[in-house]
Amino acid sequence: MQATLRRFGFQAMGSPCELQFYSDSTIEAKKASRRLAAEVVRLEKKYSRFLRDSYLTAINYSAGDSLGIRLDSETYRLLEHALACFEESEGLFDITSAPLAQLWDFRNARVPTQAQIDSALEHIGFHRLHWKKSRLHLPAGMSIDLGGIVKEYAADAVASNARRLGITHGLVNLGGDFAVIGPKPDDSPWPVGIVDPRKPDTLMAKINLGSGGIASSGDYARCFEHEGKRYSHIINPKTGWPCEGLRAVSVAANLSTVAGSMATIAMLKSRDAGIKYLKDSGLPHVYMTQEEDVGGEGLAPLAAAQTATDEQATA
Amino acid sequence: MKTHYSRSLIALSTTALALPGISQGDAPPLDSTFSYKFSNYKEDDLSRTEAPFGELERYDIDVHQFQLITPWGRNMALQVDGNYESLSGASPWFTSTGLDGEPVVNLSGASGIRDRRSELAIGARYYLENGSIGGNIGYSEEDDYRARYIGLSGERHFNNDLTTIGLGFSHSADDIFPTDASLFNRVASESKQSTSLVLSVSQIINQTTTVQTALSITEQSGYLSDPYKLFDVRPDDKTQFAWSNSFRHFFVEAEAAAHVNYRLYHDDFGVSSHTLDFAWHQNLPDDWRIIPNIRYYTQSAAKFFTNIDNPFTSSDQYQSSDYRLAAFGAISGGFSVVKNWGVWTGTLTAERYVAKEKYSGYTVALPSTALVSYTRLSVGFDYTF
Repeated sequence: MQATLRRFGFQAMGSPCELQFYSDSTIEAKKASRRLAAEVVRLEKKYSRFLRDSYLTAINYSAGDSLGIRLDSETYRLLEHALACFEESEGLFDITSAPLAQLWDFRNARVPTQAQIDSALEHIGFHRLHWKKSRLHLPAGMSIDLGGIVKEYAADAVASNARRLGITHGLVNLGGDFAVIGPKPDDSPWPVGIVDPRKPDTLMAKINLGSGGIASSGDYARCFEHEGKRYSHIINPKTGWPCEGLRAVSVAANLSTVAGSMATIAMLKSRDAGIKYLKDSGLPHVYMTQEEDVGGEGLAPLAAAQTATDEQATA
Repeated sequence: MKTHYSRSLIALSTTALALPGISQGDAPPLDSTFSYKFSNYKEDDLSRTEAPFGELERYDIDVHQFQLITPWGRNMALQVDGNYESLSGASPWFTSTGLDGEPVVNLSGASGIRDRRSELAIGARYYLENGSIGGNIGYSEEDDYRARYIGLSGERHFNNDLTTIGLGFSHSADDIFPTDASLFNRVASESKQSTSLVLSVSQIINQTTTVQTALSITEQSGYLSDPYKLFDVRPDDKTQFAWSNSFRHFFVEAEAAAHVNYRLYHDDFGVSSHTLDFAWHQNLPDDWRIIPNIRYYTQSAAKFFTNIDNPFTSSDQYQSSDYRLAAFGAISGGFSVVKNWGVWTGTLTAERYVAKEKYSGYTVALPSTALVSYTRLSVGFDYTF
């Protein structure tokens, strides 16, 4: 029997998610998609900053505890990756910068005072964590947020689990972060469109993804204008002020996790440093500057704004 | 497309590829752990009716166990095990008839036995994408006994990591050179070999339940008699089969886990046994844990078991009055308290074991004179670094 394309949508990690894969059995496909969605939910429950019984909440609750907390191997590896992000971004990608994000209240378009920012900065800095093997000592007043890594990691984990369930042709989309399970049955890649930050229903670029993943970072989703100035929700953890570099970045890489980390690092850098960082990576990428110029390499920028009818589009 | 990639990409790919959801590989422990445990094992003294003459005090053994497990690179773990035991007391030497024809036991030596055992084993395990392989070698020495052993094992995960199949092999070569051999007409020097194969299957049923079953076969050959027993003659070959099963269930609400194990054993000396044990691991606030456990054991007698040694049998006729070859039953219970303080974990355990003929699930044709009861107390700690 001919394998047909199955699509399963669900809501997780605050985003619409979709699994697409080829299977010749409706029942098997349903079973598999339920298991794969459960993996996303597992990671969401484990690393949510908002759920009181999440593992991340337990870690943050241990702040100031002289005994510290024992990390399981998954969290240990995530912290190891977060450390690589911190080092590769020269301290810009910092999972301890959550207090700043709370300070910059984007819902009420409020700019904090410099004194508030200075006091928040005292509790920020990955290098301030006492972290030795599986034991983490979180200094009092500090907290960590893995939100910048977990969604992309979940996309890769779902793709990896899907392959282990015997699925060979498919694509995972977790709120615009994509991971390829495998190319289409005829070995052709999955076309993925990249949404134009100015107009959510149009695409600014397109990529054919045969393996790996693509992830995006941008300030269009959450930002505000105050007294004529536009504030990005992406905060520089060194200054405590929103970044003024690129406006949106999408990167395709061997893994969605790697793509997401590189996109975030490029966003945190100043405009020119961000563009250079992307160019040096050698990866297909597309970016938009504050001046709304679109650039990049390896992705096909669309000359004319194309309507986002393409069903898989990265936000 | 460029073929040159940035250092940053390589660094981020390295850590991302190590994420367990992506690589799904088995990984060695993250931490090094050093463990030490001291145990005292003390057998109850015999009564005067059981042993009309000589010593009544049986074995009293102090055991010091050391273990170090340390990761070695990303894919390997090393393990070193050390063991030191000092033993004193006496063991049954021979059985005879009492004044009323009842079997009585005679313990060895007026001043009992003193011995020390030292053991050292080193092992390594290599973790692969779907399992691990490992090996170890060990050496153990006592005043009258020396053992060298080697073990190899591997396991592989299947079925989305829900099923694990393990295979193990071990071989031991032992030398026996009893003390005071000429004085007591004991054998001067003997040897024995033992080879085991184990096949195990573990299955994760769901997030809170796992089951495991394992089959093992062990072939022993050489001098299998007890050189310290006066009239102990056993066959030179022994084949043992064991079928072990375990069931674990975690109760989320109670924050507790039930461990149930059952083992069926049979060997061609004629001994069959059943072991059933149950333990309850209860987590308590502030990183305390208590573990009560209870175990029932029963075995049948070896074909050549006797409770009154016959000094006149020919040397090729098998007989043994070793209580471990008698039919009996035993009930034991224990209680452990575990407390974690960050990198330190302390454990205290008390255990009481009582073997009795009346606990036997098998018919006891010949009651042993020297069934053992013991108390074991142990205290230990783990340090992770």
